[in-house]
Amino acid sequence: MSGPRFVLGMVTVLAALLLQTAVLTVLPLPGAAPDLLVVLVVAFALAEGQLSGLVTGFVAGLAADLAADHQLGRLALAYAVVGYVAGLVHDDTERSTLLPFAAVAAGAVGAVLLYAGVGALLGDARVTGAAVGRSLVSSVPYAVVLTPFVVPVVAALVRRVEPDAARR
Amino acid sequence: MRGPRLRLLLALLVLTAFTLTAIDYRAGEGSPFDALRRGSDTVFGPAQRTVGGAARSVGNALGGLPRLGRYQEDNRRLERENARLRALLRETDGLRRSDAELKKLLQLRPVGQYAVIPARVVSVGSALGFEWTATLDAGSRDGVKPGQTVLTGDGLVGRTKRVSPFTTVVVLLLDPTFTVGARLQRLGGVGLASGLGSSGMQYELIDQDAQVRPGDVLATTQSDTFVPDVPVGRVTRVVGGARTLTRTTRVDPFVDVSSLDLVGVVVGPARMAPRTPVRS
Repeated sequence: MSGPRFVLGMVTVLAALLLQTAVLTVLPLPGAAPDLLVVLVVAFALAEGQLSGLVTGFVAGLAADLAADHQLGRLALAYAVVGYVAGLVHDDTERSTLLPFAAVAAGAVGAVLLYAGVGALLGDARVTGAAVGRSLVSSVPYAVVLTPFVVPVVAALVRRVEPDAARR
Repeated sequence: MRGPRLRLLLALLVLTAFTLTAIDYRAGEGSPFDALRRGSDTVFGPAQRTVGGAARSVGNALGGLPRLGRYQEDNRRLERENARLRALLRETDGLRRSDAELKKLLQLRPVGQYAVIPARVVSVGSALGFEWTATLDAGSRDGVKPGQTVLTGDGLVGRTKRVSPFTTVVVLLLDPTFTVGARLQRLGGVGLASGLGSSGMQYELIDQDAQVRPGDVLATTQSDTFVPDVPVGRVTRVVGGARTLTRTTRVDPFVDVSSLDLVGVVVGPARMAPRTPVRS
């Protein structure tokens, strides 16, 4: 990974986390707040493949874990797996315009279920059926709405920073 | 990187994440990662304060728009309520007079007993909507410590949990990890109120004989964390029957956590004149 590419990853993750915690959670929207980070992780996975999705997911998750009020590593695990799986369709991205939306929606569902799954293992009182339902019902539509603003931007940034990597 | 090596990295990162979670879970309060969290809060806090403050004002303006039609209806309802409360106030005048006399007798200082610092909410909730927390733009530099009461004019908001120099994470009263000792104002019975997430709060009354009714008001009792007599919420539904050990009721909090803006943190103890024996 080149230096500029590393900087791009770090800057986008931190900017997304700042937007997430200071803006998206404050907007008067019904249900749980939109999850910008999962959209960002899937966007990197679609643009660059499984390795990028996996690493971006782990780093973004760890950063979000530090800012939140739960055990460290829970979002890191969820986002890393989501990034890895979303990277599987990296090569097909250009064939369909609907694919990014489907990948982001699936990623949002996966992240909630993985996060809640580990929480259930640890006996987290916050993980109840109602809470999982509420999280799923709002996270999927919000993630889909964010997709057209995030996925093309990340793809363009990656192309600009590493012109060879996009063709890999 | 492809195939087996990529899968090895996946396994490695998943294992790392889960190990971190397990260590953090076992340690609980006083986790080895707390210093890391404080560090990240210290670096991230000022940026969050700035961006969050701006977003808050935009959000409030936008949030008002869909409600414009409802304001008229609200107005009529409030006028009716006002008239009712004014009548109630006349009734309580007499009570207030005797209360004032009693207070004088006990030589207690009137209102303004607690040192409360104002703070603005910069962020509400996190992590996929499972956590009912809020971040305040005041921290240890303003005198906030973990485990202090957070309130508004309406009532209880929560308790402070994680304090960095510039920001504080508050566990809101709706959070499933939140519990507070609460007294029924009408009956005086004591019990525990705890958060249920999006479905409000529940209240478990220890006294079995108390006839709790929908509409009863709860207020905090004195504890290490909470100052006494902060209104918590109103009982909406009684769930448990007469034969169960504790009677569980649903409570609707007075404070609407989704529209929090300015809150107060109780940073100092009550300043009271020492009580002298009452002689008759």
